[in-house]
Amino acid sequence: MAEMWINMGPQHPMTHGLWNLRIKVDGETITDAEPEVGYLHRGIEKICENRTYTQILPIADRLCYGASLSWNHLYCRTVEDLMGVEVPERAQYMRVVALEMQRIASHQMWLAAYAVDLGLMTGFIYAMRDREIFIDLLQSLTGSRLTYNFCRIGGVAHDLPPDFERDSLRACDYTEKKIDEYYDLFEGSKVFMMRNVGVGKLSKEDAMNLGVTGPPLRASGVKYDLRKDMSYEAYPEIDFQPITHPDGDCYARYRVRMEEMLESCKIIRQALQKMPKGKWRVVAPRNAPVGTGLGRVEDPRGEGMMYVVGDGTDRPYRLKIRSPIFVTVSAAKRMLVGYKVADVVAIMGGLDMCIGETDR
Amino acid sequence: MESRKGDQREGMERPPMNVGGDADERVIRTILDAFPTSVKDFQKVRAGVLRARIDRRDLFRACKMLRDQLGFEHISMISAVEYADRFELVYHVSCYGSCMLLELITTTPRDDPSVDSVSSVWGGANWQEREAYDLMGIKFNNHPKLERILLPKDFMYHPLRKEYKEGP
Repeated sequence: MAEMWINMGPQHPMTHGLWNLRIKVDGETITDAEPEVGYLHRGIEKICENRTYTQILPIADRLCYGASLSWNHLYCRTVEDLMGVEVPERAQYMRVVALEMQRIASHQMWLAAYAVDLGLMTGFIYAMRDREIFIDLLQSLTGSRLTYNFCRIGGVAHDLPPDFERDSLRACDYTEKKIDEYYDLFEGSKVFMMRNVGVGKLSKEDAMNLGVTGPPLRASGVKYDLRKDMSYEAYPEIDFQPITHPDGDCYARYRVRMEEMLESCKIIRQALQKMPKGKWRVVAPRNAPVGTGLGRVEDPRGEGMMYVVGDGTDRPYRLKIRSPIFVTVSAAKRMLVGYKVADVVAIMGGLDMCIGETDR
Repeated sequence: MESRKGDQREGMERPPMNVGGDADERVIRTILDAFPTSVKDFQKVRAGVLRARIDRRDLFRACKMLRDQLGFEHISMISAVEYADRFELVYHVSCYGSCMLLELITTTPRDDPSVDSVSSVWGGANWQEREAYDLMGIKFNNHPKLERILLPKDFMYHPLRKEYKEGP
């Protein structure tokens, strides 16, 4: 049968944002695939060269709409590394709490999108409803719903609001109960299981060589989580386990994210309990020294990294952003080839695409 | 050398958080032995983070050695930085077993911004090199598909260069 190229995107229900997946099909089997990105390129790296260090804080939020706090935090860490600023201990714990809430909210949003991709409308409604709890908590903490602008160079913007601890613990209890319910809902669905188990296999060797990070890497059986392996903020004080799964298919990626949400609840509880009293912010210098700074964190989607070059002024000379999804999606070909056209939605949905950070 | 290689393979299965001074020393010694003239300024930035400068002619061989003999299986990031007299390419390479991060810096002159592509060593470098070409105009020799990735194919500039001004 004649082979042909099909464009899935830029406008397609599967894509969740503007990007294009070109696949070459032989009948219904995929023989080649090529993602195309860049539709949302805003030139953030160039914009940052013309803004002061403080002005970049809200821009860093706009890198990803699903996990903006994580990028805001990564930017602050990078500049703190460049300026040599020590963050107070209380701020470190507050960042951990906020980051884990962001992780849960991001994974819930992924779950909602993934469910609706695979035809489970109920899953979409449930996950979106339960994500709202963490969005509300983050709103009470930071003042806004999606682009938080909470971290500052040298700490966080303000202290915890009243009753925040009580509400967070309640939210964790609630989420842990609900995740059991999700397991019944999703894994009890025969359609969901048929479209997930054994689909989109990525071997351990390929995942490591192709630079895949985050949940897809751990779902391929590599125990690598930067919160443990290159620990930052207050994570060394907290007892948790990176989640891995040996199979490397779509089901493994789903399972890793679900269990990570439970692990995040554990982290929030411990961080709230161990949080010391004291200052939550120190004053950072206006100008950065000549030199370089590096930040590296475990974003909900993988390894987020920033590299900043300072030249002694109040503006960065160069700010390079590493987006985890930009690299992960380049491995799409390895996951897609050999499967059917109908599997594309499950495979690409399982990667948790976020176009804001991919295109920057 | 063979026994060291064996250690590294076992190291993959070890639990994390064992960034020892010992592993750092081994990486520094192995690389300096293999490339005594082209590797300069080897330094420990902090625990588990190393930095070195390398001549661009030896970059590909060094990267192959890093992956095959020292267990650096993951390329985190490739950043291109423009200076008044040169371009710098910063490769952040990390190891899953020992959780080490190596910052490898190579320099190209302004009139010939090209280095050897490492995308045959690490598949994850492929798109990052295309990005560096697209935005900064660095040429990567032997790259499988060196085309623009974020900007349209007919875009005429490399916008991250300092001579390209944003706005009217």
